[in-house]
Amino acid sequence: MSAPARYRPHPDLRLTALEGEGVVLHLGTRRYFTVSETGLAILEALRTPRSLDEIVATLQERYDVSAEHARTSAQAFLDRCLAAQLITREEAPE
Amino acid sequence: MRCDQPAIRSAVQQYLDEGRLHPPHPLTLEIEVGQVPPVPADSAPPFHQPQLTFYPGAQPGRLTIVWETAPAQARIENGTGTARVILSPAAVDRLPECQAGFLMMTVIFLLRRSGWHHVHGATAVDRRGRGWLMAGNSQVGKSTTTAFLASRGWPVGTDDIAFLVPCEGRVAVHAFRSRIGLRPGGLGLLAIAGGVFQPKRGKTVFWPEELGGTWVERIEPEVLLFPVIGADRTAVTPLAPRDTLAQLVRWSAWVILEPQLAQEHLDLLGALGRQAPGYRLELGRDLFSNPQLIDELIP
Repeated sequence: MSAPARYRPHPDLRLTALEGEGVVLHLGTRRYFTVSETGLAILEALRTPRSLDEIVATLQERYDVSAEHARTSAQAFLDRCLAAQLITREEAPE
Repeated sequence: MRCDQPAIRSAVQQYLDEGRLHPPHPLTLEIEVGQVPPVPADSAPPFHQPQLTFYPGAQPGRLTIVWETAPAQARIENGTGTARVILSPAAVDRLPECQAGFLMMTVIFLLRRSGWHHVHGATAVDRRGRGWLMAGNSQVGKSTTTAFLASRGWPVGTDDIAFLVPCEGRVAVHAFRSRIGLRPGGLGLLAIAGGVFQPKRGKTVFWPEELGGTWVERIEPEVLLFPVIGADRTAVTPLAPRDTLAQLVRWSAWVILEPQLAQEHLDLLGALGRQAPGYRLELGRDLFSNPQLIDELIP
């Protein structure tokens, strides 16, 4: 069984936080986005590349939330971040 | 400022002296008149703004700014604190416009290298001694509001060009001193006379003192306002933290250029958002018919 894919911030991503929420810049596309508290928690966790399972575990440590709900929320957020090129997804080597 | 053409040197030096900026490190503008060279071939994809194009260099810290109105170019090399500016004769013929647009932008990017980050905003100090930063574009009533505040005797700094400056753990905002420019609509609302009409800008300009106010060089914002033109009634709505931060990013737009300076700039915006609450300010005509409203606007 291969290792799961890992997510990491795009090198052009810059982030700042304010009262638990944040703003993210992408210096390459020159766009910026606001992120919710949960989104900020995920992006801050990705300072170390993490798999979806590890992100779900991080969210469950921080919030009282089921694994299923955390997985659905995290996957949706990661998909949006991938579409905006804010993060990259690295497939694990075979 | 170095320039071997006395008339240009004198005019630009006067413009900069009037601005009363005191950067923490020496910065130099070297201006010459001649043929504007091509943009360096190794530049990253350009960033276009009205009348200006920015070409970040392949090397961090290098930036070329091109004025599109008449040929002119400024190059800033990494770590030098110097901008080498070449003005074409056509640009020299439009020197006041060139100063206010292109040369001011060059100064903005030089100051960025000293930790001063531009914000498109107006500054004032209210009756309770709180610093106000009003950020927004040039059509949202910043100048009219700044002139109005000056006419009420408030200290005001600028109606347009300001710099975020780190200051002992807080964020201060330093004003570039220039005349407040009012369009005919603003003049009508304020019912004021005098000033100097500038036909090319279509504005009448005033120093704050001519309006009854005083000039304040630097404020520490305790109130962040993001004005919009409203209808009859003036209204203030508190903003959520992330909306405040998004507004600050929007009106301090150079944060998205120059990766080596972006995080420092963004951190300053975050610190400012933590320092002061943000409000959406809908400017209504009642503010001008009932001027004391302004004193009670922010709790």
